[in-house]
Amino acid sequence: MLAVWINELLQGVLLGGLYTLFAMGLSLSAGVMRFVNIAHGDFIVLACYALLLLTTALGLNPVIATLIVLPIAFLFGFVLQRFLLQRVVGENVLLVILVTFALSIIIENGLLEGFGADPEKISGGWMETATVALGDGINFGVFQGITFVAAVVLVAVLDLLLYRTGIGAKIRAVSDDVAAADLIGLSSVRIYAIAMGISFVTIAIAAGFVSIWTNFDPAAGPTRLLIAFEVIVLGGLGSLWGSLAGGIVLGIAQAIGGQFDIAWQIMAGHIVFLVVLALRPQGLFPKY
Amino acid sequence: MSTTAASPLLAIEGVSVFYGNFRAIDHVDITVGAGEIVSIIGANGAGKSTLLKAIIGQAERVEGDISFAGDSIVGRRTEAIVHSGIMLVPEGRRLFASLTVEENLRLGWQVGRKAEIGFDDIWRQFPMLKDKRRQKAGLLSGGQQQMVALGRALLANPRLLLCDEISLGLAPLVVNELYALVPDIKRRGIGVLIVEQDIERSLAVADRFYCLLEGRVTLAGRPGDVTRDLVMQHYFGL
Repeated sequence: MLAVWINELLQGVLLGGLYTLFAMGLSLSAGVMRFVNIAHGDFIVLACYALLLLTTALGLNPVIATLIVLPIAFLFGFVLQRFLLQRVVGENVLLVILVTFALSIIIENGLLEGFGADPEKISGGWMETATVALGDGINFGVFQGITFVAAVVLVAVLDLLLYRTGIGAKIRAVSDDVAAADLIGLSSVRIYAIAMGISFVTIAIAAGFVSIWTNFDPAAGPTRLLIAFEVIVLGGLGSLWGSLAGGIVLGIAQAIGGQFDIAWQIMAGHIVFLVVLALRPQGLFPKY
Repeated sequence: MSTTAASPLLAIEGVSVFYGNFRAIDHVDITVGAGEIVSIIGANGAGKSTLLKAIIGQAERVEGDISFAGDSIVGRRTEAIVHSGIMLVPEGRRLFASLTVEENLRLGWQVGRKAEIGFDDIWRQFPMLKDKRRQKAGLLSGGQQQMVALGRALLANPRLLLCDEISLGLAPLVVNELYALVPDIKRRGIGVLIVEQDIERSLAVADRFYCLLEGRVTLAGRPGDVTRDLVMQHYFGL
């Protein structure tokens, strides 16, 4: 019996890795740039469809397809921020929410028009079917393991990028005081665009993993957004390692909840989120 | 690009600056030469900070011409202006509180001309900052923060340094320490434009001064050539 619970715990931790990947881009835009991209989940789904095209139409390996999408995603995020979102940043928080909400609707309906409502999935080949048996009924999928490792590596890389590089210091400076940055010749407009580009690279990485992990359809975005949002709030806004902890907490809550009753899987995650929010609104590892 | 007596480092000619329809600066002419210290004095709301904003490219609308080292810089982006050699020490210091002292300073180097003034010079001028370089700038005292702000500006290797109210809210001893650096800055051939409400301090260090009142220059000259009463009259518009 104990082994069953340990197994569920393990699955929860690994699921937390996927959730952390969802949250990275939002953690950057909400925690560092101080605005919420409501279309975050839809952009993950959009990237999933881009990967679907590359893997089916061109027959590319999903890893290669993801590598191709990364620079495109950076450029996409950069241009989106520079020429659309920048127009509403700092004016009024509501405007950014409205604009990204509109983007969310456009993406969902555009995808529905182009691909239909059927769930899609990208095949991960051997990665997907291989499992590691730890004995006593405790197993985990190789792909799930890889996803978790990728999440930890991504958090570490982003943390280094933000706290150990020149561009990271500039992003944090703009996050501290936009007007002061402009006064000393740090172009906040360009730095915001670069940060959004980085955020979109993480979106593409998340898409690479979730498109193999589970099905996606045009309407899957808001669920991804909700998870990402819960993860960054659980972890503490702006704290990248906190997001990893938040993802794991959410993953474990869902796995344990699902063990009681499968109907409770999603609900258990939300309940844990609400409880933490009530008891510790600043999150587990607050940055601010 | 050379600066001669005929073409000063900074030449502000017939400049007006607007906030909406409000004319905050009204047909002002000001020059600063290389290695010259120029003070702008004036009461609150006289337009001193607005003028600095116009020079650095952060004013809403500017009419007239501002030229730096012979090139017009009106309408240029701040990034380009800073890169060409003008750096501001903003009012209220405006450090990035969550960044360390060293990170704040490094930003100055990155936006600037990357010339002879380096970290060694800053550590020599402000040994205290070297000890605190890994601390968050927001945790420093006001005086130390102003040193970082000045250090950040110097690391940009400016040819023209704009100082906006650097003595504001600081203890007199700290202010003395900061102003003691001005001769050294001048010796490097850097032009300095100082905006201060503290008239005594400002005139003591300046080669020339301009007095602003309601956006206009009401008096200009060398501090030694005018009496205190004359300055006061023009400062308050009596």
